[in-house]
Amino acid sequence: MRELSRVLVLGLGNDMLTDDAVGLHVARAAGARLAGRTDAVVRETMEMGLALLDEIVGFESLVVVDAIQTGRAPAGRIHEFGSGELEGRRLSAPHFLGVGETLFLGGRLGLPMPRRVRVVAVEVEDPFTLGKGMTAAVEAAVQDAAARVVGLVDELCASAGAAPAAPAP
Amino acid sequence: MNAATESVWNEAQRRSAAGALAERRRITIDPVTRLEGHGKIDIYLDAAGNVERAYLQIPELRGFEVFSIGRPAEDMPQITSRICGVCPTAHHMAATKALDDLYQVKPTPTARKIRELVYNAFILEDHALHVFILGGPDFIVGPQAPAAERNITGVIAKVGADVAMRVISMRRRVRELISYFGGKVIHPVLGLPGGVAKGLNPADLPRLRETARDALEFALFTDQVFHDIVLKNPDYMKLITSDTFTHRTCYMGLVDESNRVNFYDGELRVVDATGSQYAKFPAQRYREFIAEHVEPWSYMKFCYLKPLGWQGFSEERQTSVYSVAPLARLNASDGMATPRAQRAYEEFFATLGGKPVHHTLANHWARVVEMIQAAESMVALLEDPGIAGSDLRTLPLGKPSVGIGVVEAPRGTLFHHFETDARGLITKANLIVATQNNAARIAMSVEKAAKGLIRANQVSEGLLNMVEMAFRAYDPCFGCATHSLPGHLPLKVSILGHDGRLVRELTQE
Repeated sequence: MRELSRVLVLGLGNDMLTDDAVGLHVARAAGARLAGRTDAVVRETMEMGLALLDEIVGFESLVVVDAIQTGRAPAGRIHEFGSGELEGRRLSAPHFLGVGETLFLGGRLGLPMPRRVRVVAVEVEDPFTLGKGMTAAVEAAVQDAAARVVGLVDELCASAGAAPAAPAP
Repeated sequence: MNAATESVWNEAQRRSAAGALAERRRITIDPVTRLEGHGKIDIYLDAAGNVERAYLQIPELRGFEVFSIGRPAEDMPQITSRICGVCPTAHHMAATKALDDLYQVKPTPTARKIRELVYNAFILEDHALHVFILGGPDFIVGPQAPAAERNITGVIAKVGADVAMRVISMRRRVRELISYFGGKVIHPVLGLPGGVAKGLNPADLPRLRETARDALEFALFTDQVFHDIVLKNPDYMKLITSDTFTHRTCYMGLVDESNRVNFYDGELRVVDATGSQYAKFPAQRYREFIAEHVEPWSYMKFCYLKPLGWQGFSEERQTSVYSVAPLARLNASDGMATPRAQRAYEEFFATLGGKPVHHTLANHWARVVEMIQAAESMVALLEDPGIAGSDLRTLPLGKPSVGIGVVEAPRGTLFHHFETDARGLITKANLIVATQNNAARIAMSVEKAAKGLIRANQVSEGLLNMVEMAFRAYDPCFGCATHSLPGHLPLKVSILGHDGRLVRELTQE
């Protein structure tokens, strides 16, 4: 069932892998700020690939929160980009199955996929070492990133109904 | 283990890896993208610009054993399932079986059936993902297809959106079955030492049986798709049987008492490169048969057959390199455990020249054969009235000491080994994951493909595809399921000459 006019905030990551958990922490912090709101749903998941389809289907808008390693920015830097940049990434390799591919796949299959997608990603230092805590710079970015997420949710909710049509599959 | 020790251990790993890498000239394909996971391939050149050594790097998972020490053993099925978003059910089940062993307790008949049902469902859905989505670009779309088509778009164009939708919806239903018993797939709470946490309500049997029957129909449909698209294409068959993708090694897999493929339980059987049984042993004896070799140029550990000693990356008769995963399981068995899968097994070996089949790319077909067994097993288990029994657990009373569990993960044999103190707190934890078991053979595969395509610093354009195909057939799991977005383009090859200068850089668009 399509949940029109609702925004999904989807935090991705692994809570046992140091900085890889940042997407989960930011989503949680955003969730605290969005408590009581009926126009936004916040979810955290450690799943990836095709399993994300089940999380995403049925929402009008999507804000993905994840870790990122560009190697060209200091740890803790908050990146923000839209679905256009995801589209650029999604078909760049034969076997990559990330958020972009999942959105694309769902669209091609005629599923009710979010029409508007934003990504908030925090530059991480160490997403590979087993550990419960994040590095200091990444930890310090959580609240700012959460504020960015809430801002995006507000923006998406305010413009709900006036959203551009989904790109043709 | 305290935080300081954990930190030292991790830093030591980082330094050893960095030290080894800094001294080498290398080509790096980085990352290989999430398959699902994260990794890269390093190809080292000698002074003449030819390939000296090539191998798959799996750099992500650091410090797991250290992380586990001091924790209650009962937490391990939950902790290990969170290592990896790819194989959570395999880790959960291997850890649960290790707990059975730790407390010397046997699961009740009902609990065993439920575990087997869940496990076969997991094998089916994971294999389906690989056949259609992750491996699809290689075989459904085709290795010679333009790069722009070798992706999900190409797969959908080839099989049709309706088939793709069928894959998605079947996979979802099978995952719902798994969740019925274990909660979230990524955080299963099913396995307990001696049993399971949740039984089957008889009222739900009709629905679950319908899922299983549909799963079987889906597996047979997949077999038909594979026949139509791959097996009827002589070019594909030529590629599968080509020397580039062939290695004569040993094979290992779990078998039942009749030496038939079993994903959940049984004994490990090893056949040599001629297909003769070399060894058969219970998981508890794995250290007698498996050892890990370390090369100075890699921090990876390469598993080999311990009684034979490390013979190098050899394809000679006495090679101690072995492989796991679908092809290995078929080679290491005398047949499948279910009738339709058995027929598919017989066709597999008849078509590919008899046992053992040494063609790495045949893993894709073997995966389809295994899907049929997994689905048939689901049907049979749900037809058994005993699966709705109420005997869910034998309470563990044994004193904990050592527990070893093994399952066949979709991508190969997975060992969990825990040791505890008298209170059941972990004092030692060792995992040997499928990709580790396969590491030596994967290195051989990557190297063979690279050697054929790099001569005197000249790199053939097909390098990326061929090298990727060489390891992707194993469905390697890069372990830790990092979710970091790719900060750079997924495939990149840097070619460095013997003087360390960058000769050329290739990027996979």
